[in-house]
Amino acid sequence: MAPLLDVAGVAKRFGAVTALSDGALRVGTGEIHALLGANGSGKSTLCKIIAGAVARDAGVLQLHGADAVLKHPRDAERLGVGLFYQELSLVPQLTVADNIFLGHERTAPLGFLSARRKRADVTALISRFAPVLGDGFSPDVPVARLAADQRQIVEILKVLSRKPKLIIFDEATAALDRRQVAIFFDVLRELRAEGVSSIFISHRMDEIFAVSDRITVMRNGVTVASFATADTDQDAVVHAMVGDAPLRERIEHPRPANAAPARITLTSGTSRRLHGVSLSVGAGEILGLGGLQGQGQSVLLQGLFGAAPFTNGTIAIDGKPVPVRSPAAAVRHGVAYVSGDRGRDAALQGRSIFENIANATLVREKRRVFWPRQLKPRFEEALKQLNTKYASLDAPIGSLSGGNQQKVFIARWLATGAKVLLLDDPAKGVDLGAKADFFSLARGLAAEGAGIVFYASDDAELLSVCDRILVFNSGRITAELTGSTLTSFHLTKAAYGEAA
Amino acid sequence: MSPLLRFMTSRTWLVALAALLVLVAINWYLQPNLMTPRVVRSNLSVFLPVALVAIGQTYVILAGDIDLSVGAIVSLVNVIVVSLIASFGGDVPGILGAMAIGVGVGIACGLVNGFLVAVLRLQSIVSTFATGIVFGALALLVMPTAGGSVPSVYWRSYGGTLGGVPVIYWIYGVSLLMVAFIAARPFFKHLAAVGGHRAASFQTGLPTTRIRIGAYALCGLFSAFAALCLTGETASGDPLLGQALALSSILAVVVGGTALAGGRGSAFGSILGAIVVGTISNVVFFARPPFEYQTLIEGAITLAALAGGVLVARGRRTQ
Ligand SMILES: Nc1ncnc2c1ncn2[C@@H]1O[C@H](COP(=O)(O)OP(=O)(O)OP(=O)(O)O)[C@@H](O)[C@H]1O
Ligand SMILES: [Mg+2]
Repeated sequence: MAPLLDVAGVAKRFGAVTALSDGALRVGTGEIHALLGANGSGKSTLCKIIAGAVARDAGVLQLHGADAVLKHPRDAERLGVGLFYQELSLVPQLTVADNIFLGHERTAPLGFLSARRKRADVTALISRFAPVLGDGFSPDVPVARLAADQRQIVEILKVLSRKPKLIIFDEATAALDRRQVAIFFDVLRELRAEGVSSIFISHRMDEIFAVSDRITVMRNGVTVASFATADTDQDAVVHAMVGDAPLRERIEHPRPANAAPARITLTSGTSRRLHGVSLSVGAGEILGLGGLQGQGQSVLLQGLFGAAPFTNGTIAIDGKPVPVRSPAAAVRHGVAYVSGDRGRDAALQGRSIFENIANATLVREKRRVFWPRQLKPRFEEALKQLNTKYASLDAPIGSLSGGNQQKVFIARWLATGAKVLLLDDPAKGVDLGAKADFFSLARGLAAEGAGIVFYASDDAELLSVCDRILVFNSGRITAELTGSTLTSFHLTKAAYGEAA
Repeated sequence: MSPLLRFMTSRTWLVALAALLVLVAINWYLQPNLMTPRVVRSNLSVFLPVALVAIGQTYVILAGDIDLSVGAIVSLVNVIVVSLIASFGGDVPGILGAMAIGVGVGIACGLVNGFLVAVLRLQSIVSTFATGIVFGALALLVMPTAGGSVPSVYWRSYGGTLGGVPVIYWIYGVSLLMVAFIAARPFFKHLAAVGGHRAASFQTGLPTTRIRIGAYALCGLFSAFAALCLTGETASGDPLLGQALALSSILAVVVGGTALAGGRGSAFGSILGAIVVGTISNVVFFARPPFEYQTLIEGAITLAALAGGVLVARGRRTQ
């Protein structure tokens, strides 16, 4: 029997950039198929071609054993293909329910919108994820008001609501925490039992091995290997991903002395979702924020950065109390903030890579006038440290792959030389190699005296890089992990509270 | 977020309604006969053309574009209808035929705009500015100077009553029905989606090009309605008739709570917005400030009405 999807020899160029030169993928019916590759290796491009959102230059694409003509995403949808877009395909102004049913509005006789059917259907869809949706989620809330993980869940529900035969999840778990991922995986497995196939893209190895039946690996726009998950291991897959180039070794570092002076101190920080949180980060220290998604970690970071100021509490930087009522004030005091939520918080969409990096530098250095030629070498250096793949600094930010965009936002702050670095799930969508580079860079900045506060939705990231982890629950610090308690076991136990 | 606040922020036209109540109160104080049926009717008939154009403009703005050619469309339809009625001989079937052709011309102008903006992907602000010049020039070709006249049956019917209710109230009623009809269709959600995030709408599988063309066609349609009303009001043809309508319709749309950037708003709000903008002029007129301050005061009040909407929209974002 012909496979459900058979793609071979697919090529795609964007101007001078070759995104794909020989993409291939074969997915059987009722299979969970993982697609792996470093940032910029062409995964998203291949998926968009399969979903009809990007036209291929060359290659064969067969669905259900027949050549598929895909001129528009609608054509792919008719053939039973659904795509979870890495950058999400949600309209911020529309409500959750309207986004989920966009293009498939629930109607009454004569084609009028039916609020009753919409509500019934959306409630049924949401119920699956209901325990892990977090604060402020409702079908009637505009998507613009949701947190990153909530928006990802909406995009998941949107794809599922179309009942495709082949679903592509392009980094659908990037902002999800453990509990959310577990439910998502259950859904994937149920779909598989019903004969629905999924293509699953992720940079988290443990997820790939937990859920997939087969693995296909891409490198530099070429499909280089395909494995049955049961017959392979992590080393073989990583080797296929990076080729002969060795991954950079993790740099072990001495834990900083406890007596280091505090870089930033917060005393009883309080806001709508945070209840009297106090913490202090020393120079040279990387402090992790752990716990389930949305327990106050991001709110805390945004408070420290002045983006969502605390209603109560004091912030001191280098021992001096400073009012931080706005990001501009924070930046002038040497605080930097890297968000993984690039769509909403960080990107100047449609602007060049240069402008996207420069804005932080300009605020930090209070520059009004500048010469691009002076700044460019600095920016290029910062991008190179993270192995960023880009055509030129003048290319628009949207032309980069998801992970490479994220590297630009990290570089933006590396270029400012900050004293306090606030990292809000910064490595979301960044591949293994660059992640290691980024963490060793962060470690380097700490060694030079920066104090770093780090939140990640992926526990493995926290454990690999932090000196100390504060575990959050419902806007409070419920545990502090140091030394021998810095383990996955303790972190999980603390995150779930005593019940787990 | 409290239910009250949610109710308010999901109905951005409430600000326009509040502004309207305040303005009407002031107007009533300044002009004690304001609430007599005759004055209400004459005011509403003055506001009607702007309200109609603003309805059409709403759909275009909601979809993330703008139409600066609406005034020229109104002029063009007006002179074509007046000329056609004359050449058809002025009997009732001739009048109805000319009106139908006028409506067709309005839709055709909208389709041209939609084609330029959505198919050729020219910037809407520039290309509708240019088509506005072209439509205006065509109007001058059809009728080089203001003049001509329509048979009395046309303007008498427009100014008259039907079943005891003034015809212009029927027109308001039918317009409201059309607005409600469109708002209850999936198409309305698609307009907001395309205006809110075009790339996402395309990826979702929406026919974004067709949707944007549809918005312009609706705008052309409502502009033609406005032209037919103005023809009944002035009873003659004027190639410069619609000149000020583009900007006043956009103003009405924004005062009515529709985001200029697209993605959020309602045509109902725009009708309120048109009435607010008209009432502002009335208030200034009846307050009799020194002549040289009139425009300044009118501008300041308009700004205040706009700011009210913006502040509510901002409260909504930080919530
Ligand atoms: N619209 C575009 N214009 C120009 N270049 C593009 C465009 N889209 C993708 N590219 C380029 O094509 C290459 C492949 O990008 P793609 O998004 O497919 O990578 P990816 O494997 O999904 O990476 P990631 O893991 O970072 O999401 C990248 O070098 C990217 O810069
Ligand atoms: Mg990608």
